[in-house]
Amino acid sequence: MNAATEAAADAPTRPPGGSRLDRVPPRILSAAVGVAVLLLWELLARTVYAGSYRLSPPTAVVAEFFEFRGLYLRNLWHSTKTAAWGFLWGNLAAMALAVTATLVPWLRRSIGAVVLTIFCLPFIAVAPILRLITGPGNATPIALSALAVVFTTYVAALLGFDLAPGSALDVIRSYGRGRLVAFGTVRLRASVPALFAGLQIAAPAAFLGAVVGEFTGAHRGLGILTVRALGALQTDRIWVIAVLSTIVATGGYLAIGALGRYLCPWSPALDVGAVPVARVEPGLLNRLAGLLAPIAVVFVFWYAFLWVFGIEPFFAKTPIDVWAELFSEAEAAETRSLIFGALGTTLWTTSLGYVVGLAGALVTALVFILVPWLERALMPIAVALRSIPIIVTTPVIILFVGRGLLTTTAIVAVMSFFPTLVNCYTAMTRTPEGILDVLRSYDATSTANVRNAYLPTSVPALLASARIAVPTSLLGATVAEWLATGDGIGAVMVTAFTRNDFKILWVSVAVLTIVAVIGYWLVAAFELRTLERMAPGISR
Amino acid sequence: MDRRGAPVDVVGVGRTFALGDGEVVALRGFDMHVPAGGFTALIGPSGCGKSTALRLVAGLDAPDEGIIDMDGSSPDEMRRGQRIGVAFQDPSLLPWRTVSTNIRLALELVGRRHDSAAVDELVELVGLQEFGKARPSQLSGGMRQRVAIARSLVTNPDLLLLDEPFGALDALTRQQLNDELQRIWTARGTTTILVTHSIPEAVYVADEVLVMSPRPGRVVARHSIGFERPRTRELLLTDRFHAEVEAVSASLHRSEGQVVQLDTDPS
Ligand SMILES: Nc1ncnc2c1ncn2[C@@H]1O[C@H](COP(=O)(O)OP(=O)(O)OP(=O)(O)O)[C@@H](O)[C@H]1O
Ligand SMILES: [Mg+2]
Repeated sequence: MNAATEAAADAPTRPPGGSRLDRVPPRILSAAVGVAVLLLWELLARTVYAGSYRLSPPTAVVAEFFEFRGLYLRNLWHSTKTAAWGFLWGNLAAMALAVTATLVPWLRRSIGAVVLTIFCLPFIAVAPILRLITGPGNATPIALSALAVVFTTYVAALLGFDLAPGSALDVIRSYGRGRLVAFGTVRLRASVPALFAGLQIAAPAAFLGAVVGEFTGAHRGLGILTVRALGALQTDRIWVIAVLSTIVATGGYLAIGALGRYLCPWSPALDVGAVPVARVEPGLLNRLAGLLAPIAVVFVFWYAFLWVFGIEPFFAKTPIDVWAELFSEAEAAETRSLIFGALGTTLWTTSLGYVVGLAGALVTALVFILVPWLERALMPIAVALRSIPIIVTTPVIILFVGRGLLTTTAIVAVMSFFPTLVNCYTAMTRTPEGILDVLRSYDATSTANVRNAYLPTSVPALLASARIAVPTSLLGATVAEWLATGDGIGAVMVTAFTRNDFKILWVSVAVLTIVAVIGYWLVAAFELRTLERMAPGISR
Repeated sequence: MDRRGAPVDVVGVGRTFALGDGEVVALRGFDMHVPAGGFTALIGPSGCGKSTALRLVAGLDAPDEGIIDMDGSSPDEMRRGQRIGVAFQDPSLLPWRTVSTNIRLALELVGRRHDSAAVDELVELVGLQEFGKARPSQLSGGMRQRVAIARSLVTNPDLLLLDEPFGALDALTRQQLNDELQRIWTARGTTTILVTHSIPEAVYVADEVLVMSPRPGRVVARHSIGFERPRTRELLLTDRFHAEVEAVSASLHRSEGQVVQLDTDPS
């Protein structure tokens, strides 16, 4: 016997990579990267970007904070309180809807449609409309914050209720008990881990809703502080606000995550960001009903909203009014060309950012899988960034990129990048070990591993992220346009807002929502078909 | 006969896993010698380290101590030379590929993607002609295992490692596949190590049956099986076959008793 595998000397195959950096403890690696980023940031701000109003050095950010800490803490506290109220109300509503959808299955599709519609609303333009009802106080930011969490919590709660083990449900049925008992004894308990996963994402979303609500006409809070700072080009101030928002949003995300792990330590980490879309029942009638019932429900809600709050007809626009503005009024052609022309710009810049963000995320996830030390250094940062509502940092991006068409694209790209990266990477790490062993046993190349294992296993997560990213991208785009670029439908809306032109505001909100819903469903349809084709019976 | 398989020598191999704060010693002092073209069956109580041993030989894991040598090559070199075929307990098929393309995967990985004849031959061999285009999710557990076996054979490896590949199969199919395995082994001369829980199966197909002790696993008994080949099902009914099965069974019981005796021996 000559050549041999000598004891323990050098384990050849245990770590898939084999770089020396793989042995550095992850905490140290992350800390080192963090320090390096701060140093680079300081350096760039003091040299290349000095005096450019784009980038504030970290030291200046800290100094600015301490100089005006009273102002910052007051407004931060205000926004946080707003977000907390919105978080509470929004989640209560979402839970009530999810419980109803579970107990009354035939309502499920309609409730789902309402929730999706809420998710697809261009929040920034909804704020002035809500303000008609609520007046100038704090109610609008709270309402927006509540609306911002409904979708995630609803999806997570529903997933949780559905995750209840079928065998346990059968046991209850075998004792002759019905849905209600099954719900109380099995489903509610089973849903806790998924629910926490949803609440975790809802925390930063609530903060986002609050700040966006404050962008338009609040008297206090970080949102209005941001708008003023943007107007006065107070670069340091904008950076301080972005950092504070990041800290609070990430704090909420981490705290709820820790609470969830504490309450259900047995549960594996759940990914409510990557829930596959539900399958549609076959049959033309089912499909038609599935399409029309939700639309009808949304219209009913629309009318109910106007009626319950008794909004003056001058401000209130019904679906029929919106239709008339677009198609039958004297100025309809003008309105159409204004809205759809601007929409074209928005869609163009948004889709560019969307594609760049998704593709970039997939490529980065693959790089992380193939170069483990890079993943360990950068992934914690990516996870933290995913938890912050990127929209809150929009002003920073506006400062950095400037006020052009590219700003929208950059913001959309950043917004879709981080969640997709985290979802895809997580899916890739869940590639079954057995499959990797088979590939390893033939000494498969990295390319073969990517093609045969990592890429296919990440497809469901990629598609789910792509679907969720449609409304969030449009939201990001409209916020960017509203605050900065002066292009696209966001700019049309802000002009209408300043002129009190509620006609245009309503039409824009309606059109944008419909576009987002359609985009969502197009991706969902593609997702269903792809999953079905890839692995029939695997998709839900 | 063309004996071109690689001999396998395993000497004093140990492997310890970290488990929480503690450690699990899976293997200690594990020795095994399989001659070129030999067929060895590995048998032992659940959790004794059979799968661990197989993974070490496959170069998928490295031992903490001891030596594994295959005709001058390390397992890792064998693996890098793409000379190994494995079928594990868990079939590990790619859910998005069909039966045929799952088998073809192995050919693709060794750079022979166009050898459709080899794929068709193996699909037929494992009795899945009608299911060539089916996805794993549309197959039964046993059918999936057969796909995994076909995949392990399609590249015509020098070393074939099978970890309870027939676990989920009915007795009849199992017997058929044992016959096929024997036929392929006789024709190709592939060195084969088979982990199984079935003593009759081990005695039927192997040249040598190694019995392992409970964890930490090592080989505690060797049984040379001298029955002439090709072995046929008539052999299953003979007294000498039963005698051999009895002997292995006795070794296995003795090996399992070893640990228990430590605690209960009254003397
Ligand atoms: N990757 C691992 N990490 C930690 N412990 C492991 C690992 N792989 C195996 N073990 C432990 O090593 C021991 C042997 O496991 P192994 O899978 O080799 O047993 P086995 O003989 O194949 O059992 P079975 O017949 O049930 O398949 C077990 O106690 C197991 O818990
Ligand atoms: Mg095993």
